[in-house]
Amino acid sequence: MPDIAGDGPEEQPLFSERPDWTDVTPVPQYEGYNPIAPIFYTPQYKDATDYFRGIVKTNEKSERVLELTEAIIRLNPAHYSAWQYRYHTLLAIKAPLDAELKLMDSLAVQFLKTYQVWHHRRLILTAIYSPPPSNASGLNDPTATTSSSAKSKPSPESQAAARTELAFITRVLMVDAKNYHTWSYRQWLLAFFDDVHLWEGELGFVERLLEEDVRNNSAWHHRFFVVFGRGQLQGEEDRVAVLKRELSYTKDQIALAPNNASAWNYLRGILERTGTSFSNLRSFVEPYTKTHEDRLGDEEILDLENPAPSAEAELPCVAALEFLADIYEKDAVSKSVEIWKRLANELDTMRKKYWEYRIKEALKDVPVQS
Amino acid sequence: MSGSELPKLARVAHAGHCNRCLSALPSSHIQIDASRLAIGFYCFGTLDLLGSIYEKTKEIEREGWREWLWHQQTSGIHGTGFKPSSYMTQDRPYGTDPEEYSEYDTPHLIMTYTAILSLAILRDDFEQLDRNGIVRFLQACQREDGSFTSFPNGGESDLRQVYCAFAISSMLDDWSGVDVDRAVSFIQQCSSHEGGYGQQPTGEALGGTTYCALASLYLAPSVSDLHAPNPHVTTDERRRTIRWLLQNQASSGGFSGRTNKDADACYCFWCGASLHILGVGDLVDRTAFLSYLASCQFKFGGIGKAPEDRPDPYHTYLSLAALALFPLEDADPSWKLPRLNALWNTTEDTADWIRQHVPLYTVKAQSPVRK
Repeated sequence: MPDIAGDGPEEQPLFSERPDWTDVTPVPQYEGYNPIAPIFYTPQYKDATDYFRGIVKTNEKSERVLELTEAIIRLNPAHYSAWQYRYHTLLAIKAPLDAELKLMDSLAVQFLKTYQVWHHRRLILTAIYSPPPSNASGLNDPTATTSSSAKSKPSPESQAAARTELAFITRVLMVDAKNYHTWSYRQWLLAFFDDVHLWEGELGFVERLLEEDVRNNSAWHHRFFVVFGRGQLQGEEDRVAVLKRELSYTKDQIALAPNNASAWNYLRGILERTGTSFSNLRSFVEPYTKTHEDRLGDEEILDLENPAPSAEAELPCVAALEFLADIYEKDAVSKSVEIWKRLANELDTMRKKYWEYRIKEALKDVPVQS
Repeated sequence: MSGSELPKLARVAHAGHCNRCLSALPSSHIQIDASRLAIGFYCFGTLDLLGSIYEKTKEIEREGWREWLWHQQTSGIHGTGFKPSSYMTQDRPYGTDPEEYSEYDTPHLIMTYTAILSLAILRDDFEQLDRNGIVRFLQACQREDGSFTSFPNGGESDLRQVYCAFAISSMLDDWSGVDVDRAVSFIQQCSSHEGGYGQQPTGEALGGTTYCALASLYLAPSVSDLHAPNPHVTTDERRRTIRWLLQNQASSGGFSGRTNKDADACYCFWCGASLHILGVGDLVDRTAFLSYLASCQFKFGGIGKAPEDRPDPYHTYLSLAALALFPLEDADPSWKLPRLNALWNTTEDTADWIRQHVPLYTVKAQSPVRK
C-alpha cells in the first residue's frame, strides 16, 4: 500500500488503540448502498475519520482535536471539514497561532497543490492581524467578507510578520515557480497588509524570477498586478515614468528572447492599460519582423531605447509580425493583410484559420473599392 | 496528418476505465474523498458521450446510483444542496430520518452542479429535487463582491463557484437565488491583461476559469440570443480573449492552460469550449487538436493529460467533451460523438432531459391539481 503522506502519522498507533482517546466514541461512516466511486480507505484513515466524526458529534474543541485533525490532514489534505473544524478549535481554545503558522510552513511545501493549505493560512493570518469583532460567532469565514485587510495602520509587528510571510512565499516559489495557489496567496498577502515597503520589493523579486526563466508567465502576470493592480500611479508625471520604465524593461526582455509570448502579452497589456497607441512601438518592433538577411541592408544605429534582436535570435518573430499588422490595421490594412497571409501560409500555420479570420474581419470594415 | 490517419478512439477501453472507477478506487485516491461526486460526474459523462451508459451499466446499478446520489442531498439552515460524498455521513440505525446537516457536513456548490448533471445522465425524474431549498442555498453562498463560496460558511470563492451557481440557476430556470449584476461585475474583474480570465480578480489568465467566465456570461438571464453580441463582453475584450485562447494551442496540437505552459488534454476542453462559446470554434486547427488527444489515450483505457501520462476520469471526460465539440469529417467512425451543450458541459440529449425535468414549472405542469 503506498505511503501517500510521507513521514505522517503512520508510525503512530491508531486512535482506537490509544488510552487517551478511550472516552471518545468513534462514529463509523455511513456509505450507503451502491456508493459511487468508493475508496479503499487505509486503516489509519478510517480510524482517524471515525474519531473525527465522533468529535464533531459531541462538538469537542480541545488540544487533542488539533492532533486528530492534523493526522487527517496529513492523510488527506483536501479534507476540508477537518480544516474547518481545526480552525474553529484553534480559535475556541485560544491556541497560539504562530505555532500553527509554523506547522503550516511544512505542510505548505508538502501539499503545495492543495487549496486548503493556502486557505487555512489566510484564515490564521487574518485571525492574528485583524480579529473579527467580539460579537461575531467565529463560525463564518472571515476571508469571505470584502473588507478583510489588516488593521488600519500597520504596526511594527505586523510589518515584521508580513516580511517573514513574504520571505516564506519566496522560498515556496523557488520550489515551484508557477504554482497558482502560491501566487494567489502572495497577491492576497500584499493586498492584505498593504504596506508600501512590501510593494516596493516586488519588482526586484519579479525580476530575479524572470532572470531565471524569462518565460515564467506567472512572474509576468505578477509584475502587471504590482504595477497596475494597486493605486500606485500617482499623478500624470508618475504615470509617464512608470510606462517608460515598463516599456524599457519589456523591450529588453524581448531582445533577450524574442519568441516569448509572455513578454509580448505584457507589452500589449501595458499599452492597452495606459491607452498608448501600438504605433509608438513601431521602430522597436520592425527589426524583429525581418529575417537576418533582410536586416543586413539596414543601417546599424545604436538605439538604446530600442534594443535590436541578437544575431542568434530566431527571426522573423511571429509575435512581432502580429504586432506590426495590428499597427497597420488602422490606416494601411493591405499591409496587415499581407502579413496575416504570410503568418497563415508560412510562419504560423497552426493558426492559419485565425489569420484568415483576421483578414476577413478587417476587410469587413473597409468599404468595397470600385 | 489527415483525419483518416489517426488511430481509433478506444471507446470500449475508455468506458471500461470509467466503469472501474465508479465501482472502486484504490487507497491512493484518498485525496478525492471530499470530491467523489465530481469523479462520478466525469465517469457518467464519459459513458454518456460514448453512448454506452445503457450498454455498460445495468438498470439496477443506475437505480442504485440515483438512490445514493439522492442520499447526498441534504437540507438545513442554509438551504439545500448536495454533499461531496458520504465522507462525513454518520452511521445511524437503518430507517431513521436524516437530521439537519451540521456546519461540517453542509452541501457544496460545485458538487450540487455535478449531482444534477449526473442524475440527468441517469435519467432521474427529479421528483426529489428540493428546488426552493437550492435557491436558498445559492443565496447563502453569494458574497458581497458577487462571487460565491463552495459552501455557505466558507471555502473557496472564485470563478468556478460563480459558474456553478449560474449553471444551476439556468437549469432550474430560476435566477432568484443569484444577484446577477454583482456576479457579472465579479466576473469582469477577473479579466486579465492577457485576454483570459484569472481564477479571482488578481489571478493569472487560466483556461479553466476563462471557460467558467465565458459560460457564465453567456448563461446570464440577460442574454437571450447566443449569436448576438454579448452585453457583458465588449468587442475589444472578445477580440483579446479569442487571440489569447488560440495562442494557447501548442505545437503539439493540444492547448495549454496558461501562456508558456505545456499542453494538457483538459485545456483542450476549457479553451476549445471557450472558443466555441465565443462562436469561433472553426478557428481551431482540428486535425492537430485531434491528433494530440489521440496520443493522450492510455494503452489500457482512459485518457491522461499528456502522452504517456496515467489516465483519470477528469481528463478522460474532458477530452471526449472536447472531441464532441470539434468533430473531424474524415476521421474514423470511432471518433463520432454526440453533440455537446458547451454551456452546461453535457450532451444535448442530457441537456434536453434537464430542460424537461429540472425547472419548477415542469413539476407544476405535471401536477394534477391546477387552477
